[in-house]
Amino acid sequence: MLLPKEKLSEALGALAAEANVIAPVKWEGDVFFMPYKGGDVCLEGNGKLPPKDVLFPKTEKMYSYSIAKGTMTEHNDAAATILFGVRSCDAASIERLDKVFLEQGYKDGFYSAKREGLAVIAMGCDKPMATCFCTSMGIDPMKAEVADVQMCPVEGGFTVEAVTEKGKEIVKKWDSLLDKKSKAKPAKVECSLNINVPEDFEKKLMDMFESPIWDDVTKACLGCACCTYVCPTCYCFDINQDVHGDEGTAFRCWDSCMFSDYTRMAGGHNPRPSKKERLRNRYLHKLAYYKDRHGKYLCVGCGRCIANCPAHLDITAFAEKAMEVE
Amino acid sequence: MINEIKNACLKAFESGEVGYIIGWQATRFADKTTPLFMRSAEDVEKLVWNKYCVNSTAKYALEDKYPEKKIGIILRGCDSRAVARMISDKQLKRENLYLIGVVCDGKEDPICATCSHKTPVIYDVLIGQPTTEEISPERFAEVEKIAAMTPDERYNYWAVQYDKCIRCYACRNVCPACNCVECYADQYRTGWQGKAHNRAENQVYGLTRAYHVGDRCIECGQCERVCPMNLPIMSQTRKMLKDINDLFGPTECGLTIEEAPVLGEYDLNDREEFM
Ligand code: SF4
Ligand code: SF4
Ligand code: SF4
Repeated sequence: MLLPKEKLSEALGALAAEANVIAPVKWEGDVFFMPYKGGDVCLEGNGKLPPKDVLFPKTEKMYSYSIAKGTMTEHNDAAATILFGVRSCDAASIERLDKVFLEQGYKDGFYSAKREGLAVIAMGCDKPMATCFCTSMGIDPMKAEVADVQMCPVEGGFTVEAVTEKGKEIVKKWDSLLDKKSKAKPAKVECSLNINVPEDFEKKLMDMFESPIWDDVTKACLGCACCTYVCPTCYCFDINQDVHGDEGTAFRCWDSCMFSDYTRMAGGHNPRPSKKERLRNRYLHKLAYYKDRHGKYLCVGCGRCIANCPAHLDITAFAEKAMEVE
Repeated sequence: MINEIKNACLKAFESGEVGYIIGWQATRFADKTTPLFMRSAEDVEKLVWNKYCVNSTAKYALEDKYPEKKIGIILRGCDSRAVARMISDKQLKRENLYLIGVVCDGKEDPICATCSHKTPVIYDVLIGQPTTEEISPERFAEVEKIAAMTPDERYNYWAVQYDKCIRCYACRNVCPACNCVECYADQYRTGWQGKAHNRAENQVYGLTRAYHVGDRCIECGQCERVCPMNLPIMSQTRKMLKDINDLFGPTECGLTIEEAPVLGEYDLNDREEFM
């Protein structure tokens, strides 16, 4: 099935009439996943930030209270949402987050409410950017994990395939727009940035905790949180309160393992006192700890941390250096 | 040029006085270099000097306040002003540094268009011919553009900017004037900087940053270079510099190693018509 290019806005409009649609659009010179309000979407280049915010907002209210009134109100805002134009890397990141928030013996209510109402329309990625390396992380740019509908760019439009029941519901709404006779097939795509990640790389890394390599590979780091905040799979949060007199609201918000207060204990001791220990933790979490626990890399090769690092550090360059260590 | 810089590094290592030298090295991307820390003569061949050497080399010296040997730093004009800034702020000691100044040819960074000090202002050796320099007429162009907005336009302009800000603190961490041992924003228990990611907290951070560095900003533009969300934040410190220029006469920061910050210095002759 093919959705002709010129029908895309109409197709999205049909969905937006009934549900909350989030799509990549151009805003302030970059591409962002934002509520779709008609007009053109932007499929050139991936989003500046991943669509993670849809499931795991930068800041979300948990509960409010008033001592005077003796009340407490729980918050959990979740609306049915269709996420359009998700590339394979970001779709894989949703699968990685699901494991953390839903499958570790505790189901996170805030995440699961949003996740249950979410439908993902994935878009195959035919023009990986210079910093993309998802194929090295075992991801297929043309076939996304967690997709309800898989679309792929082809000559004249996009192939459309409903993968799940949710996906079938979506595709039904496009019935009159689709060219059902089309036999178009997406081409195979490889990233230009490739690293040959060896089998059991995570085991090797886990044994390298005390390696002298860390001083060298972390020296240029500025210790900012840029890499973690642009990453689709970073999921750390902090819980805090806004207190006004005897009323207040508790919220949770993104946090970063690159910050000094992230591991600071009551009393002031910090087991990760410098950027060396912090960046080591980030690299090992992405490439070793998570794989050890869940069987997959936490890095999905989107390349955002490479494209945005102010010091031009590169997780793939780190991985290659680590491979060379005897 | 690169050979002269490499020779200067080799000589520095030969002297035995220098422990390591900070410069730039290539990455797998043709348009990106990354800071290089040379520990011996063997490392010198990794050094590159091209238009993509945009990272500041100076601030890394702050991580090593009691070095065993001198810290070598390869300096462009802006990096030399960063060093002067940190020495003036009593964060670095001149005698701990070995400074290899290079007359800059301008880098692949928009800030370089308004650079007024391509020749390093301090150095132990200088490579290249000093250029004649003048303050760019465009120095305050962005400030004037924003000043010409109506208050509502201006509010909305910055509101959009701080909706984009992800509070990664890259702009703080790269800034040579941001040299506090512990930033107010990291003093999480005081409540000065809320942790929530929203426009209001982002604006608190933006304002505080601008005020904390505005009278010491060396106009290297590193804050804007590193900002992943492309906030025009140097226009904030340049707004403060413009006011300082208007009120106290021509001012540029980081030109000497004994510079008192305009707002941190008390002088009996200061204007005080507001009192
Ligand atoms: S670690 Fe970097 S490349 Fe990997 S998923 Fe996160 S941002 Fe993308
Ligand atoms: S700001 Fe000036 S000295 Fe610094 S890199 Fe640009 S041109 Fe060179
Ligand atoms: S670098 Fe940009 S996004 Fe990061 S805190 Fe500064 S202004 Fe905000």
